Amino acid sequence: MDFISNLANGFMSLFQAGGETFMGWVTGIIPMIVCLMTAVNSIIKIIGEERVERVTKLATKFIITRYTIVPIMAVLFLGNPMCYTFGRFVEEKHKPAYYDSCVSFLHPVTGLFPHANPGELFVYMGIAAGVQQLGLPIGNLGVRYFIVGIIVILIRGILTEKIYMRMISKGDTK
Amino acid sequence: MYRAITIKAGSSGWGGPLTFKPDEKKNKVLSVTGGGIHPVAQKIADMTGAEALDGFKTNAPDDEILVAVVDCGGTARCGVYPKKNIYTVNLMPVGKAGPLAKFIHEEIYVSDVKEDCIQYADDEAVVSTSTQATSKSEVESSAPKTKQQAREEIAKMNEGKQKGLITRIGSAVGAVVGKFFQAGRETIDMVIKNVLPFMAFTSMLIGIISASGLGDIIAERISPLCATLPGMIVISVICSLPFLSPVLGAGAVIAQVVGTLLGAQIGLGHIPVQYALPALFAINAQVGGDFVPVGLSLGEAEPETIEMGVPAVLMSRIVTGPLAVIIAFAFSIGMY
Repeated sequence: MDFISNLANGFMSLFQAGGETFMGWVTGIIPMIVCLMTAVNSIIKIIGEERVERVTKLATKFIITRYTIVPIMAVLFLGNPMCYTFGRFVEEKHKPAYYDSCVSFLHPVTGLFPHANPGELFVYMGIAAGVQQLGLPIGNLGVRYFIVGIIVILIRGILTEKIYMRMISKGDTK
Repeated sequence: MYRAITIKAGSSGWGGPLTFKPDEKKNKVLSVTGGGIHPVAQKIADMTGAEALDGFKTNAPDDEILVAVVDCGGTARCGVYPKKNIYTVNLMPVGKAGPLAKFIHEEIYVSDVKEDCIQYADDEAVVSTSTQATSKSEVESSAPKTKQQAREEIAKMNEGKQKGLITRIGSAVGAVVGKFFQAGRETIDMVIKNVLPFMAFTSMLIGIISASGLGDIIAERISPLCATLPGMIVISVICSLPFLSPVLGAGAVIAQVVGTLLGAQIGLGHIPVQYALPALFAINAQVGGDFVPVGLSLGEAEPETIEMGVPAVLMSRIVTGPLAVIIAFAFSIGMY
């Protein structure tokens, strides 16, 4: 009898630990995210997609802005997965590189703007929760994640563009 | 000769049954399942007489795709094709989920599909369902238009009329408040549909790991390996291998679970906190590797671009994955 009750207790304790984690996230993360997301979503609605599109179209012409400003605007204003639709503003040969830089920004953005990719918050939140547990501020981590994210998407965009160009030119000579 | 088939949902699936028949134009079965043609897609193609395509290698114009076969855990892909009004067969047991959930409905989407869910249909059934489906989609596509037309008509009617100052202030405030309210509604929707389910799943997983003692093994054996720059670079190289990244990337689920586990280790002090930033990039070198064809087609890329674009992105990751870790490592100097 003891054995069975111990077994049951052990089994329940597996989920008690999970429940505590869940409670911590719901009370610790969700209230802030709800307010932040509502605020940013309202700003986006007030600014309107058309205005963003106009700015973005200009930025597709230059290589530096094409893989920084365009994906940043797309991710901030349209979020995942509609941000890829801004690919229609870039030239056909730049589309794979645009995709690469856009998708790579979908997680760095969540440190400061969780509204852009709420379904995949825990890449950042998971690690940030650990930092928080140590009693350290996470704002610094979020900002640096954002900045490094911009640098990485620029590099990815340029490199993928080069690789893609080489692949097409090889395909042509064949 | 083309034949009609009926696909019903699997035991834990949702949606359907879908009945359709290819014709001269719409005769491609697109398999967007992490590379290769999935047996279910192949079976659909064999039975209907349509042509199966690997969505990672080739692509077809939307109006030639009869049905898309996806293996989406409810993040994005399962909604992309319904949004384009293409029949969608999901191999995973997922219902209306993801950011595009509102486009997923029973007439166009079916999930948890196994090979034995597919049957021949008699042709009469097809005619009725396909007309139904088209009439429904017509209604859907025309509904917003008429609304817009109505709005334009109202706008025209209001032109010329000089509005009073108070009315103008009133309607402006109303418009702004309406936007705030709508934003709030969307946020709560997102939290319920996307954030909370993930929290439930991960906290259960973490609970089991930490209570069962598996956590201690991770802390003692795996954490020390991760907590060095070479260790991080090795992780990013593994994640960015072109044959692994499309599998690992799906819905960022793996990156999120690993992120949470690493976070727990950082919180316990097993991994030094200055590795937080490089770790964010190391576990995520595969980001979007599963989504390249879909993302490109959302950007209205030509099929040829998608064909060459997929390997270009995956190859570029081998270099940029580890590079990102190094940049992040440099940037984390002096953070904590």
